[in-house]
Amino acid sequence: MRIIDIIGMSFKSLWRRKVRTLLTVLGVVIGSCAIVVMISLGLGMDNAMKYYLKQFGDLNVITVYGNVWMEGQSEPTKITQENIEIIKNMNNVTGLFPKMALNDQMISVCAGRGNRYRRMYGEVYGIYPEYLEKFGYKLKEGEIPENFNSNYVIFGEQTAYNFFDTKKKRNNTTYPHELPDGTMSEPFFNPMEEQIMLYVNNQNKYVEDYMWGHYESAGKSNEYKMTCVGILDAQNSGGNWEAFDGIFVSMDFANELFNSYNKVNKIKDAKEPEISELKIYVDNIDNVAKVQEQVEALGYYCDSMESARQSMQGQLASLEAMLGGLAAISLFVAAIGITNTMIMSIYERTREIGVMKVLGCKIKNIREMFLIEAACIGFTGGMAGVILSYIISFIFNKFGSSMLGLDYMYQLNDGTVLPISLIPFWLVLVALVFSTLVGVLSGFYPANRAVKISALEAIKNE
Amino acid sequence: MSFIEVDKLRKVYRLGNEKVVALDSISLNIEKGEICCILGTSGSGKSTFLNMLAGLEKATKGSVRIAGKNITAMTEKQLAEFRQSNTGFIFQSYNLLPSMDAVENVAMPLMFKGVKPAERNRKAEKMLKAVGLSERMHHRPTQMSGGQQQRVGIARALISKPPVVFADEPTGNLDTKTTAEVMEIVVKMCRKHNLTLILVTHDNDIAKYADRIVHIVDGKIESDYPNVSIVPPEPKELTDTEKILKSLDNSDKEKENKDETE
Ligand SMILES: Nc1ncnc2c1ncn2[C@@H]1O[C@H](COP(=O)(O)OP(=O)(O)OP(=O)(O)O)[C@@H](O)[C@H]1O
Ligand SMILES: [Mg+2]
Repeated sequence: MRIIDIIGMSFKSLWRRKVRTLLTVLGVVIGSCAIVVMISLGLGMDNAMKYYLKQFGDLNVITVYGNVWMEGQSEPTKITQENIEIIKNMNNVTGLFPKMALNDQMISVCAGRGNRYRRMYGEVYGIYPEYLEKFGYKLKEGEIPENFNSNYVIFGEQTAYNFFDTKKKRNNTTYPHELPDGTMSEPFFNPMEEQIMLYVNNQNKYVEDYMWGHYESAGKSNEYKMTCVGILDAQNSGGNWEAFDGIFVSMDFANELFNSYNKVNKIKDAKEPEISELKIYVDNIDNVAKVQEQVEALGYYCDSMESARQSMQGQLASLEAMLGGLAAISLFVAAIGITNTMIMSIYERTREIGVMKVLGCKIKNIREMFLIEAACIGFTGGMAGVILSYIISFIFNKFGSSMLGLDYMYQLNDGTVLPISLIPFWLVLVALVFSTLVGVLSGFYPANRAVKISALEAIKNE
Repeated sequence: MSFIEVDKLRKVYRLGNEKVVALDSISLNIEKGEICCILGTSGSGKSTFLNMLAGLEKATKGSVRIAGKNITAMTEKQLAEFRQSNTGFIFQSYNLLPSMDAVENVAMPLMFKGVKPAERNRKAEKMLKAVGLSERMHHRPTQMSGGQQQRVGIARALISKPPVVFADEPTGNLDTKTTAEVMEIVVKMCRKHNLTLILVTHDNDIAKYADRIVHIVDGKIESDYPNVSIVPPEPKELTDTEKILKSLDNSDKEKENKDETE
């Protein structure tokens, strides 16, 4: 028998009992809809949780501190180049972002023609510029060049505000604030357009000169001509506070500045430049715990969102399991409904099935007819269930959070409201496959019964 | 070797402690193309015999061979395949599927065989014309009279030209006149295609259509003889059925047959 004819026979018998078929399908609709909606609520919660945690930092990132020590240690383990290499080669590590802060080196910064704009200290950090964006820093202006050479700097969002204008006697400082016309105040100069100078100073002389106002001659400095290639967007840089007032240079150049400082100040026993912080990017949040464990084994104090995430996830998982269980019950009831309907229809069609057998219909084909019937009920129910779920999900997302008083869970600090219910495409597929499968499974028993019906039944006259 | 060979076939039904011997050691040979009537009173075991020939019921003892194949030793699966390609069945109560029209009902055995719709429907229409139902192609069983339904049943049984056709009281639900028409058609068509027909009845009048009459009493063959009155009773007037039969005789000529007997 051709498969198309088997399907045709199945459809015919479903169509003949329209109302009953419809009611059975309705059971599956409710069951599959319940499951999809429950899972979508769970996914919504998961999503909200991730956003919630992201407000405190990237979930993929482990931060290693070079100046914090763990219990039992007498001093912190320094972040060394050697260990950075080890961490770099760990599985699942896809990015590293060490931060070398030149805070003690008192690097001064000037900008503009004749070094008109000055700043006594700049917060200079040595970084890996190629990983800047991966670690959540966003640029407001400019872009990171592929070959980030030693002459490039990246300014924090407000770095340029903290310069004073040497040409002015009054109002020679500024700060970011809103102007009467609603726009933001501008700094004195645009760093992207002016030449930027970095100075490594003789500490004592510099401070002295500065106090007397001899800005021109302050310090006995090594000078570096720099070009600013980008300005960071601090609000959207994942809570990295250096994005406000930092000055980022390449790690190599930071080392050069460090050595230069030691030379100028005649520091003989200079230690390795201190890397205050190392951020590690892990490919998948599920691997964070594993990588963190390995890094901790090196003796470092680490910090990540992992433990917070895991405890929240654990709570969510049990809630989701409960919701899912409730939904599963309704689908189970629907499955019983299918079996029941099919058994009834077999009673009614005993004679018909017998006739088909006498006329030479193969047993296999009879089984297939019933399985397809059941699968159709399951599939149609699943399909309608998915559509209904989309509608319910839409209503939830539109009105749900305020109606249920859940705004605090689904609203971010910046006002965005997250969806309560999420139906990704894979869920649609899973729902369809699952409900069809439930149909087929509930059809097995009736199909076997149909197969067992004796061909004689057809001939016996009632 | 005969086409159908029945050897010491025995069927015993057990009802609790009681034994009912429905068939008692029946042996019988039927040749290809023979029209064989199994005649007997109610409860004599005719239907049991027929069902066992068709492989619908298991034998207690003995064997049935059709075209050299041992039916009694076949599994359900093999039997289904055997029936599909070797047998046709005409029922007393027609047993047409109510959800299908005449053409679909007739085409059903071909559908089971995997014949494509266009081809099987064409053949079914041809069969329906042959039994004089060209006006009733797309009627449902409920929209047809008993005689018409049985003609659909005949078309269905014969559509794949099975070597053996079984008919258990095919006219049991019909009046005398319709019985005659239906019998004429069946017998004519079986003869035309050289099909073996096993016809079960308790009615002596119907037995007259057969080549051979096997009389069964209490599960035993009481007599087995060729039909002497092979010529059916003389018809009084030319009925519609005879028109159909004529058209069957010279089927090349297209003849319009109106069927208004029912
Ligand atoms: N399933 C069964 N269980 C027990 N006894 C049965 C069964 N089927 C038939 N019999 C018995 O076997 C005998 C023969 O039955 P069968 O149906 O073959 O009779 P029949 O000749 O076809 O009669 P009728 O003309 O009334 O149809 C009867 O006595 C009947 O009671
Ligand atoms: Mg009988």
